[in-house]
Amino acid sequence: MNCPRLKDWFSERYDLEGMKSFAKHKLVPTHKYEIWYYTGGIALFLFIIQFITGIVLSFYYIPYFEHAHKSIIEIVTKLNMGWFFRSLHHWGAQIAIVVLFIHVWSTLLLKAYRKPREFLWFSGFVLLGISIFFGLSGYLLLWDERAFAAVRVATGGAGNLPVVGGFIKAFLRGGIDVTGDTLTRFYAFHVSVLPLVTLFLIGLHILLVQYHGMSVPLSVKKEERKEIPFFPNLIYKDLIIWLVVLGIVVTLATLMPPEIGKKADPLAPAPENIKPEWYFLFLFQTLKLFPGEIFGLNGETIAILLISAGIFFFFLIPFFDTKSQRGEKSPLFTWIGVVYFLYFVIMTVVGFIS
Amino acid sequence: MAFAGMFLYAVDLFAQQDKIDVFPAVPYDRFIVYQNLIIFWIGLIGLIIIIKMKLREIERTQRMGIDKEEEDIPLLD
Repeated sequence: MNCPRLKDWFSERYDLEGMKSFAKHKLVPTHKYEIWYYTGGIALFLFIIQFITGIVLSFYYIPYFEHAHKSIIEIVTKLNMGWFFRSLHHWGAQIAIVVLFIHVWSTLLLKAYRKPREFLWFSGFVLLGISIFFGLSGYLLLWDERAFAAVRVATGGAGNLPVVGGFIKAFLRGGIDVTGDTLTRFYAFHVSVLPLVTLFLIGLHILLVQYHGMSVPLSVKKEERKEIPFFPNLIYKDLIIWLVVLGIVVTLATLMPPEIGKKADPLAPAPENIKPEWYFLFLFQTLKLFPGEIFGLNGETIAILLISAGIFFFFLIPFFDTKSQRGEKSPLFTWIGVVYFLYFVIMTVVGFIS
Repeated sequence: MAFAGMFLYAVDLFAQQDKIDVFPAVPYDRFIVYQNLIIFWIGLIGLIIIIKMKLREIERTQRMGIDKEEEDIPLLD
C-alpha cells in the first residue's frame, strides 16, 4: 500500500525519516546467550494476549458474589467461543508467569542487573510480583469453592506478618473475612488498578531497555561480540517465536480448558486437599515445614518473615553483588541464583505431588 | 441386568450434572474445534516458513553488503 499524500501529511507533522533512521540503525548484540533476550519479548506478547482476552471476558462477567459464578458458566456454556476465550486467558496467564520466572532467573544468572541497569531489575521484579497478584485476584473472580478457600489461605498468610499484617489482610479482604466485598475489591484490582500499574511499568521497562541497550554477559569476550540490526532481523526472529508461543497457548486452551468448581459457600468447610495455584506452592510447602510454635513465637509468622527476607534479598541483589558492579565475575551470586531456583522447583514439585 | 444398567446410567447422569461442561459437549462441535486447531497449526507453520525465508534473504543481502544505499550514487535528474 502506497499513500504518498497520507505519508506527506504525517511527514509535515512528525519526523518520520528520523524514526525510520533510528529503527534502521538500532543494533542489538548477538552471542551464544542471545536466546534469553527473547523471553522479555514473549512476556510482552503474552501480556497483550491477556489484555485482549481479559477485555472480551469483562464484557460478560458480573462482579457480584451472587452472579459471578453463574456469569462464568454462561460465558463458557452459552456464549459463542466463550469457553475458548476463558481458556485462552487462563493458559495465557499460566505461561506468562512461567516466562516471567525464566526471564528473571536468566537476568540473574547473566548478571544483566549490574550497573547501570539496576532499575531494569527492580521494574521487572515488581512486574513479576504484580503478575502473581493478577493471578490471585483473577482466581477469586471464578467464585468457586477452591478459589474461595485458596484466597482465604493466601490473605490469611499475609495477615501473619507482624505490624502491617492485619492491615494488609483487612485491606485485601475488605473486611475480616473473604466475602462479596473481597470479590468486588479483587475485580477492581484485576481490571483497573493492576493493568494501569502494569502498563506504566512495562512502558518504563521498555524505555530503560532502549536507554541502556541490551546487557552483554561478562563471560562473552569482546572479540566474540557481534551486532545485528534490531529492524528487521530481531523483529522477524521475535515474530517467529511469538507465533510458536501463540500456537502453544491456543493448543493448551483447546485441549485442556480449566474446570469450574461448585459455587463458593462461605459457611461450608474448605474442600479436602486444597492447594493454591502452582506459583504459590513453594510458599505453601515452606509454611508446612515450620512447627506451630518456635521458642514461644508463632511458627507461621517466623516462616513468613523468613520468606519475606529471602524475597527482599533477591530484590536487592544488584546492591549486594558489588563484584558485578565493578565489571568482575561473581560466581557466588550465580550459586545464590541456582539455590533459589532449585528451592523453588523442588518445593513446587513436592507441593504438587504431596 | 437391565435394572443394573439403568441404575448405572442414572448414577452417571447425576454425576455429570455436578460437572460443568467447559468444552463443547456435542461430538460434531468437538470435531469442528479439533479440525480448526489443525488448520490453525498448518497456517501457523506456513507463516513461520515464509518469515524464515524472508529473514534468510535479508541476512543474505546483508552479508553481500547490498542492503546499504551508496552515498555518491549518480542520479538521473
